[in-house]
Amino acid sequence: MSSLPYILPVELRQPPYPQDNRVGSNSILTFIATEGTLFAMLFASYWYLGKGKPQWPMGDPPKLHYAIPMLILLLASSAVLHFGEKKVREHKVGAGMIFLGITILMGLGFIAMSVLDYQERLQTLSPTQNAYGSIYYTTVTLHAAHLVLGLMMLLYVLLLPSIEPREVTPHWPYHNAALYWHFVDAVWVFVVFIMFIIPNIGR
Amino acid sequence: MATAAELRLESVWETPHTLLGKLSTVDHLELGKRYIATAMVFLMIGGIEALVMRLQLAVPNATVMNPETYDQFFTMHGITMIFWYAQPILTGLGVYLVPLMIGARDLALPRLNAFTYWMYLFSGLFLYASLLFADSPHAGWFAYVPYTTKAYSPGLGMDFYALALIFLTISTTGAAINFIVTILKFRAPGMALSRMPLFMFSSLTTYFAAIFSLPALTAACLFLELGRKWNFQFFNVSQGGDPLLWQHLFWFFGHPWVYIVFLPATGLISMLLPAFSRHHIVGYPYVAAATVLTGAVGFGVWVHHMFAVGEPQMSMSFFSAASMTISVFTAVQVFAWIATIWKGRPVLKTAMLYALGFLALIVIGGLNGIVTAVIPVDWQLTDTYFVVAHLHYVLIGANLFPVLAALYFWLPKMTGRMMDERLGKWSFWLSFIGFNLAFFPMQILGVLGMPRRIYTFPVGMGWTSMNLIITIGAFILGVGILLTIVNFFQSLRSGEMAGDNPWNADGLEWLTSSPPKPYKFVHLPTVVSRNPLWDDYDELEDPNNERIFSQDRLTLSTTWVEAKATELARIPEDSIIPVFSSLAMSWIFVAILFTSLWWALAGVILTLISAAAWLWPKHEAKVALQPQRQAVPE
Repeated sequence: MSSLPYILPVELRQPPYPQDNRVGSNSILTFIATEGTLFAMLFASYWYLGKGKPQWPMGDPPKLHYAIPMLILLLASSAVLHFGEKKVREHKVGAGMIFLGITILMGLGFIAMSVLDYQERLQTLSPTQNAYGSIYYTTVTLHAAHLVLGLMMLLYVLLLPSIEPREVTPHWPYHNAALYWHFVDAVWVFVVFIMFIIPNIGR
Repeated sequence: MATAAELRLESVWETPHTLLGKLSTVDHLELGKRYIATAMVFLMIGGIEALVMRLQLAVPNATVMNPETYDQFFTMHGITMIFWYAQPILTGLGVYLVPLMIGARDLALPRLNAFTYWMYLFSGLFLYASLLFADSPHAGWFAYVPYTTKAYSPGLGMDFYALALIFLTISTTGAAINFIVTILKFRAPGMALSRMPLFMFSSLTTYFAAIFSLPALTAACLFLELGRKWNFQFFNVSQGGDPLLWQHLFWFFGHPWVYIVFLPATGLISMLLPAFSRHHIVGYPYVAAATVLTGAVGFGVWVHHMFAVGEPQMSMSFFSAASMTISVFTAVQVFAWIATIWKGRPVLKTAMLYALGFLALIVIGGLNGIVTAVIPVDWQLTDTYFVVAHLHYVLIGANLFPVLAALYFWLPKMTGRMMDERLGKWSFWLSFIGFNLAFFPMQILGVLGMPRRIYTFPVGMGWTSMNLIITIGAFILGVGILLTIVNFFQSLRSGEMAGDNPWNADGLEWLTSSPPKPYKFVHLPTVVSRNPLWDDYDELEDPNNERIFSQDRLTLSTTWVEAKATELARIPEDSIIPVFSSLAMSWIFVAILFTSLWWALAGVILTLISAAAWLWPKHEAKVALQPQRQAVPE
């Protein structure tokens, strides 16, 4: 056993010390893991309820003419946000914030389209009509709720005061909110694939 | 004499002793104690419920309470013990001990820690608010549909159940995130994964299991509540629903949950048993691996709660085999503990007695668990008192006994005073004998066919004498636990002073004063072995005073695997906002209980506002820290 004193790395021996700012990112990744599991549970329930039924979805399968453009819009918004983050990393915070604003507008566009989708879908299917309606609306609405939460995060980053010098990189709140936004987008990919595209195959 | 460094640290870390200070503290020592105290109160409440139930069952045809009341009693007893005592007490011990054991000054997310504590408290109050409506949950702790749907269980009782569980889930998830990040990032320099205290392995496994299992409970309760309040059709067969969906979701959560309330307790035992055996744990890597594997395989056994439902042969065989596999991992741990005692020189203090009691009970509980994993036997025994015996051997044996051992072991650290050994030994023997008197006969009753959850039984079934013995045993167990509580309060007033390390134990937490100062360590410790205080390396040696970091609320951040010091993390200061956030969230649940969506929306907005205030950056100068890392990543 050594009895020599532990030697700290040079940069930790006197101030200013390097700061660990990744607690937030690590936490939000863990949070995303649990949220992702929640959606996995919903998909599993969707599969379980449909297992062994002569017809699933019960009634007509959902139409794709809103879901696919919504998917494209969301994927594009993720790309835009990613560019924005890159700009921020290159010390161009102003440009990054503009990209962030565009992402928020695209998110609002998604919500507008999903309102139209709801209006159309509710004419033929209600959440209380059968088990399919229940799981369909629960999943889609839960996703929309998460999307709204993601939008709130992005808006918050947009409004954050420039207290800490913005030119320093990376911009951690930006990064963390972007992580969550990418997660929300990824969930929609699964929703569209499992609940919109597959039921339309072979009908 | 306090040194200049101590005074500086004190001024940075201290919470003012005012009401506002108490409400807004984020100190893990304070919050850990609150968690433990709150969980003990729920233990008392659940225990009293059990004793009243035993009065009803003491003799045939008793009329202490009517069947409806009895249903509410056993349900509230189960929920309280499983959700509001068994897991939170372990969270509380973790909140208190984890930072001390890894040599950090606080958890990674102290405000989240405060928030999860308040959420835990408020969710418990929410559940018990059902008493005001004389309409508590009444369908057992697993609340099977369709009995729990609106048609068969009108009233608010099951709404309280579903909402309170979602409520608690938020708290538990928050705590899990906090522990995972803390343990992976804040370990003392040198405390590589291969040198972590075993409690860290069990905590990490547990909280990862929580992250991946709790959403199933959330989904199940969400479906139930949507069905009850807004007529959704998840469980309605005539509309394409399926009641078994509830069972799958519930047990997909429920079985990992058993390990969530069991594994941290084994971690506690792996910490204190070597201290009293005067020998390091035997087979450290095997115990660590067995812990992780128990958590992982625990996700593949849920259907064994549903053998009586009728599943395909293949599926049942798989789940039966997986359930038996788990017992191999538990056996590895049990043999490691026995070997540790064997090779050491055991000292029979009260904490050690409780640990030994745990060993005896977990073996019985494990063995009668294997019996029920055999499908034909399970068909015979399901929903009988045999299952009640099994789950109490496992939950009391593997949760309550380790927790009491841990309290006798670590309370001197928390209060600075020793518990009385004589009273402690009385408490142990009464608990141990009372427990076995109460639960061993239940196995026989189960084989004789006494169903669980009946509110009374007729004369002449051959159950009478054993039920009386059970009731007597339950009261003896109650007295045993009461003695420990008396012992605790007595030790506060007149206990011997403990000193820093009364047991000559090996963990870093024993380097701090008893009770620890708000900054815990003056010099942040470093580690070179698995048993830091038993090697000849001085963890606190810091000749140039480089590891004090008293400029701000700072602690060392290290790499995940090897624990090399890389940066400093800043711990947020006290804040009242977590209290407001948890109140705003409670508002949402109360509003949903009364089906008023507009009020719920108001609660959501309040929650968002408080979250924004919580995260709002402050203008203070961070002199000690470089604002961000300067390098531009590619």
